[in-house]
Amino acid sequence: MKLRFESSVEEFRQEFLAWLADNRPTAEEMAADPAVSSAHCPEWAKRWTKRLFDAGWLVPGWPPERGGRNAGAHETLVYLEEMSRSGVPRTTNPQGLGIVVPSLLDYGTPDQIERYAMPLLHGEITACLGMSEPDAGSDLANLKTRAVRDGDTFVLNGQKVWTSGANYADFCFLFCRTDPDVPKHKGISIILLPMDTPGVTVRPLNEIVHPQHPDLNEVFLTDVVVPAANLVGKLNDGWAMANGSLAHERGMVWLMSVIDMEMGMQQMLELAPSILEALPEQERAVAADDVVRCYIESHAVRCLGYRGFARLVKGGSAPEQALMKLFASASRQRLARVAAEMRGPDALESKPQRSRRVGTLEDYFGIFGSTISAGSSEIQRNIIAEKVLGLPRG
Amino acid sequence: MDLELSDDQQMLRDNIRTVLTGACPPSLVRAVHEGTSDGAELWHQVVDLGWPALGIREEAGGVGLGFVEVALLAEELGRAAAPGPLLATISQFVPVLEEFDCIDLLAEVAEGRRSGSLAVAEGSSWGLHSISTVAEVTADGARITGRKDAVLAGSQVDSFAVVARDRTSGQLGVYLVERSAATVIPTGALEPTLGLADVVFDGAPAVVLAAAGVEAALERVLQQATTAMTLHIIGACRRVFELTLDYAKIRVQYDRVIGSFQALKHRFADMYLMVEKANALGYFAAVAIAENDPRRAEASHMAKATAGECQRLLVEDGLQLHGGIGYTWENDLHFWLKRAKAGELLCGSSLHHRSQLAAALGLISEVNV
Ligand SMILES: Cc1cc2nc3c(=O)[nH]c(=O)nc-3n(C[C@H](O)[C@H](O)[C@H](O)COP(=O)(O)OP(=O)(O)OC[C@H]3O[C@@H](n4cnc5c(N)ncnc54)[C@H](O)[C@@H]3O)c2cc1C
Repeated sequence: MKLRFESSVEEFRQEFLAWLADNRPTAEEMAADPAVSSAHCPEWAKRWTKRLFDAGWLVPGWPPERGGRNAGAHETLVYLEEMSRSGVPRTTNPQGLGIVVPSLLDYGTPDQIERYAMPLLHGEITACLGMSEPDAGSDLANLKTRAVRDGDTFVLNGQKVWTSGANYADFCFLFCRTDPDVPKHKGISIILLPMDTPGVTVRPLNEIVHPQHPDLNEVFLTDVVVPAANLVGKLNDGWAMANGSLAHERGMVWLMSVIDMEMGMQQMLELAPSILEALPEQERAVAADDVVRCYIESHAVRCLGYRGFARLVKGGSAPEQALMKLFASASRQRLARVAAEMRGPDALESKPQRSRRVGTLEDYFGIFGSTISAGSSEIQRNIIAEKVLGLPRG
Repeated sequence: MDLELSDDQQMLRDNIRTVLTGACPPSLVRAVHEGTSDGAELWHQVVDLGWPALGIREEAGGVGLGFVEVALLAEELGRAAAPGPLLATISQFVPVLEEFDCIDLLAEVAEGRRSGSLAVAEGSSWGLHSISTVAEVTADGARITGRKDAVLAGSQVDSFAVVARDRTSGQLGVYLVERSAATVIPTGALEPTLGLADVVFDGAPAVVLAAAGVEAALERVLQQATTAMTLHIIGACRRVFELTLDYAKIRVQYDRVIGSFQALKHRFADMYLMVEKANALGYFAAVAIAENDPRRAEASHMAKATAGECQRLLVEDGLQLHGGIGYTWENDLHFWLKRAKAGELLCGSSLHHRSQLAAALGLISEVNV
């Protein structure tokens, strides 16, 4: 146990910070053309992705030809810490960079890597993740979108929903049923679907906050024909890969949630004194206690996350991954609620830009994305109870 | 930041756990609860193993391990609901002696010839501001007059490190008083294994350990005592968790084990999260103390506050999910329920520690306790 990283890791951090200071996109650049969806890559973001790739700072743990510098786990950790704190998004296509590309590198053909993964890493294209359907949410294996082999093509029919960024993405990492006659988990495959293929219709779903910038979409597929070469990995092997993809997703998310919690806490501590000042004396200590509880949780999130990380690096299993998904999203939600309720009617303000300003109900409602998506809090509890604690299913 | 136990620490933990499984079985805890044993044999065993010397500097015959290892031992003692003066000695008495370089006394502790506890709290306060016990300096030491409340292992230790105010200068100092020179009134009858006692000093002869300028050192001692108690509570909570989980896997109702009901599964997930997060914060505080990091005060407040939340949930759900059997004296569960609850009331409640944090964050004005 120790509180500090090795000095070589801190040097790595400094090296990245120095590079970041010289190469980051400017605030004006980003504000003039903001990314409005999770697969929207404005011009500045394309250039930024390319700069990160060329300098080996896009995915530091990967080799240089894939945008990295063969960095170790601790180095990647401090890189992500600084990237998340910097106010510059590492990518405007988190599902693409965080889930789709790693999965393609694991399971894709050389041609798929060349045509889909590498252009995404160069900032030229973006991807969305087509898993959920109207009848397949938590119960993902229940998905019904069909892919039927026809010569050297697949014909797709069905519907996806909640597909983040489908309204901007160039291709979709699509989960579909290729064998309806075997148990649910055994008949699922993954197919790469260019979004401009005829028969693909995208209908944005406006969200409860910022409805003017929809990120979620329904995707309807009617007799969509894609080359059979777009099958990722083995036929009917999609479920195993899905667990791989979700693992990629969780691996990336925990640290972001630590930093997000800390930055949220920072904002809360900036807001709190003046809000508390304005409260009647007898309410002040009560409100202060709420703030203190959030403060403690922000540290708890960090401590739990870093311990899980240490266990993973040691090669152990880390139940912290599911715990972190559950805990980090819940504590960030609590922080958002406490801050907004403490602030009073001003918390009802609504700004046109997407933002995560603590002390607004927009922030609070926005957080539900993380308690619902990628395995809801209830599903995380099921996982912890069954997989970690060994309680029986049923 | 690395909050995972090193291989050596893990080995130490396993070793302690194995020893305590044999030396401190529930039957021993029961015997102390039922008044048929005073747990003395456990103390003799841990002395033979050199455990009191764990955190004592080598120069005084100690093992010279850091505070993380002390915290580990405190946690395991909680897990075993161990009776006796070891927790007080390693987490309260030794830190005082270390702070004030009392080499001879440390050597006595290391050899197992002396146990001790910190006598600081008056009333329900845990802090240095409202101390009214006084010390009168004499030709050969001092005489102490006053009353200390809920001293950990007060009826079990050989000696007390008493925090008292010099009658003339008003300065806080630390004084060593033998238990035989004080009137010890056992309290906390619901959890007798902790040996809690109110201790009354009526001109008790004392050795001066430090007569003035002790505040900063004592704050560090309080942080150690608090953090050890934090881990101790968490150890007890983890035991409650394990007992409850085991029970949920075998108790059948409605033709299925109760652990298969989702309503209970989710409560287990929440309990597990609670124990793990309290544990992570507890060791954050322990490392901050071990490394003398500037965050040590804040970290120990956060950890104790979270241990408080942890014991609430684990005591309530642990007892509730056992059903009627957990409500009986014959079942062992209550040893850990009571230990966890008692821990909340010692070394400052979670309310106390949260209010300290609120003040430190500038959210409320300074609280003087
Ligand atoms: C912001 C956001 C972005 C998203 N992005 C994507 C994306 O890019 N691609 C994609 O494919 N999907 C995406 N999703 C979909 C997301 O993965 C699903 O919403 C999620 O899996 C839950 O499915 P559902 O909405 O159908 O809810 P349901 O599964 O119907 O759940 C409804 C409620 O029932 C509970 N529940 C369900 N099953 C159980 C159970 N077994 N035990 C206990 N409780 C249960 C749930 O926890 C929830 O509270 C996104 C969702 C959100 C909110």
